[in-house]
Amino acid sequence: MTYYLTDGTSDGFYSAVFDAYADKEAFVTAKSRIQLSFGDRLVSVETIEEKAERVRKKLTLCDVHALDDLSILLRSSEDGTEQAAFLYIRELVHRGRPVKGRLAEPAVFDALDRIARVKEEAHRFTGFLRFTENSDGVLYAPFSPDHDILSLLVPHFLKRLPGIPFLIHDKKRHKIAVCDGKTYTFAVACDSATFVPSPEQEEWENLWKKYYRHVNVALRPHEKQMRGSMPVRYWKYLPEKNQRNSVPKIFK
Amino acid sequence: MKVCRSGGERMIDEFRLRILTESAKYDVSCSSSGSARSNTKNGLGNASFHGICHSFTPDGRCVSLLKILLTNDCVYHCRYCPNRAGEDVSRAIATPDEICELTVAFYKRNYIEGLFLSSAVYLTPDTTMDLLLLTVKKLRTEYAFNGYIHLKGIPHADPALVREAAKYADRMSYNVELPSEASLKLLAPQKTKESLLLPMRTLREETKANREDRSRRKARILPAGQTTQMIVGASPETDGQIMRLSEALYRKMGLKRVYYSAYLPVVRDSLLPDRGAGLLREHRLYQADWLLRFYGFTAEEIAPLDENLPEEYDPKCAWALRNPDFFPVEINRADLEALLRVPGIGNKGAYRILRARKYGNLSFEDLKKMRVVLKRAKHFITCCGKFYGAKDENQIKTLLALQDSGTEQLTFFGDAESGMSVLTGQL
Ligand code: SF4
Repeated sequence: MTYYLTDGTSDGFYSAVFDAYADKEAFVTAKSRIQLSFGDRLVSVETIEEKAERVRKKLTLCDVHALDDLSILLRSSEDGTEQAAFLYIRELVHRGRPVKGRLAEPAVFDALDRIARVKEEAHRFTGFLRFTENSDGVLYAPFSPDHDILSLLVPHFLKRLPGIPFLIHDKKRHKIAVCDGKTYTFAVACDSATFVPSPEQEEWENLWKKYYRHVNVALRPHEKQMRGSMPVRYWKYLPEKNQRNSVPKIFK
Repeated sequence: MKVCRSGGERMIDEFRLRILTESAKYDVSCSSSGSARSNTKNGLGNASFHGICHSFTPDGRCVSLLKILLTNDCVYHCRYCPNRAGEDVSRAIATPDEICELTVAFYKRNYIEGLFLSSAVYLTPDTTMDLLLLTVKKLRTEYAFNGYIHLKGIPHADPALVREAAKYADRMSYNVELPSEASLKLLAPQKTKESLLLPMRTLREETKANREDRSRRKARILPAGQTTQMIVGASPETDGQIMRLSEALYRKMGLKRVYYSAYLPVVRDSLLPDRGAGLLREHRLYQADWLLRFYGFTAEEIAPLDENLPEEYDPKCAWALRNPDFFPVEINRADLEALLRVPGIGNKGAYRILRARKYGNLSFEDLKKMRVVLKRAKHFITCCGKFYGAKDENQIKTLLALQDSGTEQLTFFGDAESGMSVLTGQL
């Protein structure tokens, strides 16, 4: 196996596709998540924009939606993401036209399956994200998603909270979306900034916790179902699942 | 008995929130889907077409809407209801502003998708409907709230009030409560059949006229339509009867959903059974309802009039076993409707098959690769003429009954749209 190591960016990935395409032994992966075994060869891929651009152009010729689909796939943090994308691209280029319907083709099925999981997580967080308010009416929501879905979420909340400034903070990737109520940008979260909730915040949060407790039908417990639909790893930022008041103090 | 009122502040207190939530929680329609309400200028929120679950409670149900009563202080006497007139329970009432503030505060923090507002019959039906109308109107206009609103209709209220309220809600519901007129008379004597069905019809006509009126750019009335709910197992109707009622409600009233709620004995009453109805029955009814709405089955096909749905198989399996001549279905040629009749093949599986077979015949191996669930389906299909299931009918029956642990049916209901059926999934 020859490992093509990318810097984890999308340009890096498409550069690797360019370099590795003809190599039947190729395995494309981001540097950060490589697992080697004895006898493997390593190729460090140089990220070159023009190369990446050529690959992108070619893919668009095969399928106009290819880049959109791949951009979602590349947000996945599962093992083998880049390789799955690479194999999907091989199939696509080999056929020269859209392959999305070829579900009996393992490379296609696998890629679509991974895409579905990224989208599912994004959909889940349209519900599971929790905002806290400060005295200026700014909303702040920390979360820690499996996949890199921050930018998929922002448009949803921009539509929902028009005119309200808000921040969504991916704690895992130290990325923060900053929205002034009309437009948004992304920034690296800094360690020293603080977010101080308004005095009212705690009261509403408390009412929410009470509501959550009382709306439960205790006669029909089904914890397994709850955990299946709302995995425990997401609970950290859900006030209703934290009996202590979980008011965020600082940006990590 | 004292009615607690607010002290004038706009934030509702914990005590009343508790009473008004606990009284509302047995209402099962949690769905917030089916409405795409875009934002008005500077307003707060929109309604998403696919429902969104914001949390899940330890009973496994999805929390999507703030489900609350305006008051639980009731002049009616429905025998199954803990809030019926004369019961010694704490009563509370919230002001329209308290409801609005709470909704907006929860919505902004992304706790909820919207409001599900219901009420006991307070003083008179008109007084109650008036208060409900006032609340939703305030919420939309003064509070500029564009999120989802599901409003419960009050029987016997002035139709003019009901029509007016419909302008502000995404969805309204009149609960038929019980599956027959006789049971309704017996158990909810003040709610007549007419008091429930006539407003349903009025709203149906209103929305129809509103939809046809494309000329002026009028606001849409009840974009998410109407739903209803009935209690199952408090009265003697069979599943066959219930399915026929649901079918009629879908066809004649154009309802979006019928919800079934297994009877829970919350209060004692000489006319009511001591034991609750099983969750399995409720689960089977939801499965059958699904066949009615999405898979092209008729009530007649699903269950004979005087029978209940079988416990050991899901209703689609049961139909397949009653109709062996329909099978096997050839995966590479059958149309969508036939594919959907195969036990174990749902929308997702059928759609995958239709897509993939465009590129060539599918083998049994291909279906596996596409993760079409074949455990049950294999007894009812052929792939390129080849059959992979068990030969003898009794063997099939045993295998199917063993497999129906209920976990697979859950995928039926995995969406937010039917969060309640999540509750039934443990079977
Ligand atoms: S109308 Fe009937 S069901 Fe509703 S609160 Fe009153 S008694 Fe209960």
